[in-house]
Amino acid sequence: MKIYVEKAAFTRRQFFKGAGVLLISAVITGVLSKIGLDALAISDDYVEKRAAGLYQLDESMTIRRSHENPEILRLYQDFLSPGQVSPLSEKSEHLLHTRYGKDIPHLIEEMKKSEAAA
Amino acid sequence: MNLATYSNGIIHVTKSCKACDHCSSVCPTGAIHGRLGQRHRIDPLKCINCGQCLINCPFHAITDTSMVDPVKRALKDPNFKVVVQEAPAVRVALGEEFGLTPGTNVKGKMHAALRKLGFYRVYDTEFAADLTIMEEGTELIHRIFKAGGVPGYENSGPLPQFTSCCPAWIKYAEDNCPAILPNLSTAKSPQQMFGAVAKTYAAQQLGIDPANMIVVSVMPCTAKKYECDRPEFIASGYKDVDYVITTRELAQMIKDAGIDFLNLPDEQADSLIGSSTGAATIFGVTGGVMEAALRTAYEVLSGEKLGKVDFQAVRGLKPVREASVDIPVKTLGKTMKVNVCVVTGTKYVAPVIKDVLAGVSKYHFIEVMNCPGGCINGGGQPIRREMA
Repeated sequence: MKIYVEKAAFTRRQFFKGAGVLLISAVITGVLSKIGLDALAISDDYVEKRAAGLYQLDESMTIRRSHENPEILRLYQDFLSPGQVSPLSEKSEHLLHTRYGKDIPHLIEEMKKSEAAA
Repeated sequence: MNLATYSNGIIHVTKSCKACDHCSSVCPTGAIHGRLGQRHRIDPLKCINCGQCLINCPFHAITDTSMVDPVKRALKDPNFKVVVQEAPAVRVALGEEFGLTPGTNVKGKMHAALRKLGFYRVYDTEFAADLTIMEEGTELIHRIFKAGGVPGYENSGPLPQFTSCCPAWIKYAEDNCPAILPNLSTAKSPQQMFGAVAKTYAAQQLGIDPANMIVVSVMPCTAKKYECDRPEFIASGYKDVDYVITTRELAQMIKDAGIDFLNLPDEQADSLIGSSTGAATIFGVTGGVMEAALRTAYEVLSGEKLGKVDFQAVRGLKPVREASVDIPVKTLGKTMKVNVCVVTGTKYVAPVIKDVLAGVSKYHFIEVMNCPGGCINGGGQPIRREMA
C-alpha cells in the first residue's frame, strides 16, 4: 500500500526567510521610487518657478510687443531696410536668415562669393 | 549634418560615470551607448548637444566643452572689444548659483556683473529675440498669404512653419527627418542674429573694426556652443558669434573674479542693440516664441491693437499643446483661424512631423524646443538634481 506523504516545498523556517526577503525588497523598492518621484517633483518645481519668473518679468515690462521695440525700428530704418520698417529685406535675408541640411555648403559658397565681390 | 567639424561633439561622459544608465532615459535621440555597469559613451553624430543628460546625471559625470578660457583671454587683451549678449532664461536661473530661489529675476545684477568682468558693451539677446519675431513672424504671414492664394507670395515656403530658435531641434530635424526642413523658418536663432547684427550694424555705429570685435553669448544651453561653430554662420564676414558660455560658467566666472554678486546694483543693458520687450523675455519658456509671434502677427494682420497680450492657451508644461486663434486678416478680408502647436521635448515631435509629411496636419505654426519646459531647463542651467 502506498501512503501519500505531503512534501513541503520548503520548511517553515525557509518560508519565513523568503517572506522576509520579499517584504524587505518591497519596502526598499517603495522607498527608492519615492526618492525618485521626489526628485522628479523637485525637477518640475524649479522649472515652474523659472517659468513664473519670466512671465512676471514680461508683465513688468513697459513694452510687451516685439514690433514696438524702438531700437528694432531704428535698426530697420537705419540699416536693414533704409527709410522703412520692412522685414525680409535683401539685407535681412543675408544677415538674419539661413538654410539647413544639404543646402548649407551652397549657402557658404554664396556668402564667400558675395564677400569676394565686395 | 554629419560634417566632420562637429564630430567631436560638445557633451562628454567622464571617468566618474557609474553606469547607472539614467542618462539614456533622458536622451531624446538615443545617442548614449553602454550597458549597465559599463562606462557610457555618447555618439557625437547622433547627439544633438542638448545637455539633458548632463543636468540629469546623478553623479555629475557628464561635462560640456568649455570656452571660458578664450573668453577670459579676450577680456584681458586690449586689442579686442568684447561685447556680450545674454539669453532670457539666464536671468531667472543665474541667482540659484548664489543661493537665490529658482525664478528670481537677477537681470540688473547680471548686467552689472558682466560690466565688472570687463565686457566693453553689455547688450541683450532679447533684442535679437524681438528681431527674430519681426523676421519669423513676417515669414509666417507670407506663408499664410501664399496658402491663401494672395498674389505676390509664390516664393514663400510651405505651411506649417516650424520655429528655428533651438539648435538641438535643428540638428534633430537635419539628422532624422530632412524632408521637414522646407517647413523650418529660415530665420536664424536670436543668438546668431545678434552676432550678425553686432559685427555689422553695431560695429559701424560704434566705429569699431569688426575684426577686433569678439561676440560672447551667455546661454542656458550647451547646443548653442555647437551652433556658434557651425560653418555657415559667417554672414558678417567674420565668425558671427565667437564664444558661448553657459549660465553655470558665467556664475563660476563671477565667483572667480571675487565679485559680490548679491550686493551688486541693478544696471540696464547698453543701448543700440540692448533694449528688449516682454515678448522677447518669454522666449526662454516653452510656448514663449509662439506667444510673442502671436502678439505681433495678430496686430500686424488685423491692424488692431490687442487689449490683452497674454495667450494663456499656449502656456504650461505639457509636452504637446495646441490652440486656435481667430485673427481678422485685413488683406484677405476675412477672419482666419490660426492653429498653433507647441512641443517641448524633442521625443514628442515625431508624430507631429509625421502628420505634416502626410499632409494631414491642421497647424499653421509649430514651436519646438528640445528641453522639457523650454530654455529655462536647458543643459547649461544650474544643476538642481542632487541624488548622489
